[in-house]
Amino acid sequence: MTITDVITLLPLILLSATVVVLMLVIAFYRNYQISILITLGGQLLAFLSLFVIYPYAPRQITPLIVLDGYSVFYMGLLIAASFTIVLLSYSYFIKFESNREEYFILITLATLGSSILVSSNHFASFFLGLEILSVSLYTLISYQRYQEHRIEAGIKYLVLAGTTAAFLLFGMALIYAELGTMEFSNMAFTGEITTVNQPILLVGWGLLTVGIAFKLALVPFQVWTPDVYQGAPLPVTAFIATISKGGMFALMLRFFTEVPVGSSSSLWGAFAIIAILSMLLGNILAIVQSNVKRILAYSSIAHLGYLLVAFLAGGVRGTEAVAFYFVAYFITSLSAFGVITILSRQDHEMEDLNDFKGMFWRYPLLGIILTVAMLSLAGIPPMVGFYGKFYIAFAGVDQSLWLLLIVLVGSSVIGLFYYLRVVITTFMREGDEEAERKELLFGKLIISRTGSAVLSILGFLMLAVGIFPGPLLSLIEKLVSGMG
Amino acid sequence: MNIAFYLAAAIAIVATLQVIVQTNAVHALLYMILSLLSVAVIFYTLGAPFVAALEVIIYAGAIMVLFIFVVMMLNLGPQSSEQERSWMNLSTWIVPSIMALILIAELVFVLTQGASGTTGAKVIEPQQISLALFGPYLLGVELASILLLAGLVGAYHLGRGRDQRIERNV
Amino acid sequence: MNVATVPMNVGLILAGVLFLFGVIGIIVRRNIFFILLSIEIMLNAAGLAFVVAGSHWGQPDGQVMFIFILSMAAAEVSVGLALVLQLYNHYKSLDVDEISKMSG
Repeated sequence: MTITDVITLLPLILLSATVVVLMLVIAFYRNYQISILITLGGQLLAFLSLFVIYPYAPRQITPLIVLDGYSVFYMGLLIAASFTIVLLSYSYFIKFESNREEYFILITLATLGSSILVSSNHFASFFLGLEILSVSLYTLISYQRYQEHRIEAGIKYLVLAGTTAAFLLFGMALIYAELGTMEFSNMAFTGEITTVNQPILLVGWGLLTVGIAFKLALVPFQVWTPDVYQGAPLPVTAFIATISKGGMFALMLRFFTEVPVGSSSSLWGAFAIIAILSMLLGNILAIVQSNVKRILAYSSIAHLGYLLVAFLAGGVRGTEAVAFYFVAYFITSLSAFGVITILSRQDHEMEDLNDFKGMFWRYPLLGIILTVAMLSLAGIPPMVGFYGKFYIAFAGVDQSLWLLLIVLVGSSVIGLFYYLRVVITTFMREGDEEAERKELLFGKLIISRTGSAVLSILGFLMLAVGIFPGPLLSLIEKLVSGMG
Repeated sequence: MNIAFYLAAAIAIVATLQVIVQTNAVHALLYMILSLLSVAVIFYTLGAPFVAALEVIIYAGAIMVLFIFVVMMLNLGPQSSEQERSWMNLSTWIVPSIMALILIAELVFVLTQGASGTTGAKVIEPQQISLALFGPYLLGVELASILLLAGLVGAYHLGRGRDQRIERNV
Repeated sequence: MNVATVPMNVGLILAGVLFLFGVIGIIVRRNIFFILLSIEIMLNAAGLAFVVAGSHWGQPDGQVMFIFILSMAAAEVSVGLALVLQLYNHYKSLDVDEISKMSG
C-alpha cells in the first residue's frame, strides 16, 4: 500500500479515528456534550476529506476497496445523513439514565460499515462492511435496555441479520466456487446465464439476492421489519431506514451492474416480482397502521420497491435515477423521522397517530415540515419526491418496463391515502379533553433549537431541490455515471 | 484420505441433525461441538490444516464455550427440557422435513449438474494464508478488528448489570 | 501429507445439507437460544463451502474468508447472548412467541 492509497482511504480512517478518540474521551472524562462534538467534528472532517480524495478517483486500493465517483457520492450522502441523525439524537438521549456516550461510538461505527459497503469491490469487504453495520445496529436498537419493546426488537433484528449474513455467505461461496474470484470487477459476464449452463452460479446469485432482500426489507422478506422499526429508538429507526438501506442498495447496484442482472432472465424476473410485491404490499399494509413508526416502516418498503424499478431499468439512466431518488428519500425520511424525534424524549416517544392531532396549531414549524415531508413521500409536486419518482419513471420508460411503471403509479396513488391522513391529522382541531391530555404530555416539552434548525434546513432542501433539481442532477451525472 | 472425508462428513450430518432435534440445551451444545470437530477433520482432509485448527480453537473452543456459559447461567435444566419436548411433537416436524427433503433433492440435482472439479489439488500452508492476509486482504484484517470492536462495545453495554450509581461529568 | 480428492460437488452438497439443517432449526425451534445455535450452524456451513471452494481453486482466499466469518460469528454471538440474557431477565422466558408482543 502506497501513501496515495492511505490518502484515498482518508474518510474511512477519519471515521475510525473518531471512534478511537471517543473511546479515549469516554474513558478519561465522560461528558455528553464533548462526545457529541467529537462525533460531529469527526464526521465533518470525514465529509470534507471526500473533496480531498476525489482528484485521486477512480482508484483501487487492494482488491477489496475501490474509490470512484460513485463511492465518493454515496459516502458523502451517508456521512451527511449520519451527521443529521446525530444532531437529532442530542435532545433524545440527553436524559438517558445510563451510558449515553457509547451511542455515538456505535453510530459512527455503523456509518463506517455503510461507507465500506458503498466502496466495496470484493466479497470480503462486502461482508465485513455489512457486519460492522449490523453488529453496531444490534446494540443501537436495544440501547435502552429497560424500555418496552427494545430488547425484543433487538433480538428480532439479530435473528434477521444473522440469517441474512448466512444466506449471503453461502451465495458468495457458491459464486466463488464457480468463478474462482471474489472481486466484482472480475465477474463480468456477456451472454445469457441459464439453469442449464451454470446452475451453481445461478443458485449463488439467488441466495445473494435473498440475503440482500432480507437486508433491504423487501417483500417477501420483510416480516419482522415493522416490529424492529417500532421497537427501536427513533433516531436508530431513522438510521436503519436511510443509511443501512442506502449502503446496501448502492452495493447491490454496483454488483449487479458489473455482473449484468440482465444476463439471467430468471434473476431479473425475480427482482421484478419482488419490486411489484414490495410496492403494492408496502403501500397497502401501511393503510391500516395507527403507529407512525410502522407507517414509515411500510412506506420505506414501498420506496425500496420504487428504487428497484430504477435498478431494473439499469444503464446510466437507471443508476442516476437511483442516486437522485436516494437523495430525495434521505432528505424526506430524515425530515419525517426528525420531526417525530424532536417531539419525543427517550422515555416517551410520539408514536401514536392520535397524538399528532392538531400538532400544527401547537408547533407550526414542525407541522409544516411534516406536511412537506409527507407530500414529498407521496410524490406530489413541487416537492423533491415528485421529481425523484418522475426520474425513475423516465428511466423505466426508456427501457419499456410497462408493468412495473403501472404498478409504480398505482401504488403511489394508494400511498396518497395514508400520507394525506397524517397531514390531515396534523391539521385537525382537537377537542377539550384531547387538549388537556396533550397539555399533560407536551406542556413541558422544550423543542431543541438545533433540532428545529436542522429540520428547517431539510424542509428547505425538500422544496429547493424539488423546484431546482439541476445542480444535484449535474453532480450526480459527474460522479455516478462513470459506473453505469 | 477420501475415506476420512466421507466418514467425517457422515458424522457431521448426524451430529448437526441431533443439534436441531435435541430438547436438552446442553446435549444440543455437545452435539454441536461434535459437529464442529468433524468439520475440522474435513478441513484437514481438504488440505486446509490452518482453518482446521482455527475451527477447533475458536469456534468449538471459544464461541461454543460462550453458549455453554449462557446455558449454565440461564439454568436451562430439566424443566425447560420438558417444555421443549412439548413444543416439538411430530406435527411440528412434518412440514419442515418434507420441505427439507425437497430442497436437499434440488440441491443435489443442481450441484451435480454444474461444473465439476475436484478439491485438494494441494495443501494450502499457513504461510500462504499469512501472505494473503498481509497482502491483498490487509484491509480485511483491519475491518475484522473494527467488527470485533463493535461487538465489544455492544456486549459491554448490553451485558452490564443494573446501574447502582450514575456517574456523570455533565 | 495426503489430500483427499473429493469432487467439489460433494463438498458443496455437504455444506448445503448442513446449511439446510440450520434453516430448519430456525423455522421449527421456539426457544431463542436454539435459534441462535441454528444461525451458528448456518454460518459454519457457509464457511465449509468457502473452504471447499478455496481447496478446489488452490487459493488461500477461501480460508481467509473463513477467518473473517469466524470473527463475525464471535462478534455476533457475544452481542446475541448478551441480548438473550437481558431478554430472560426481563421476560423470564425464552419463548419467541411469548416475547412477540408487538403486532400489526
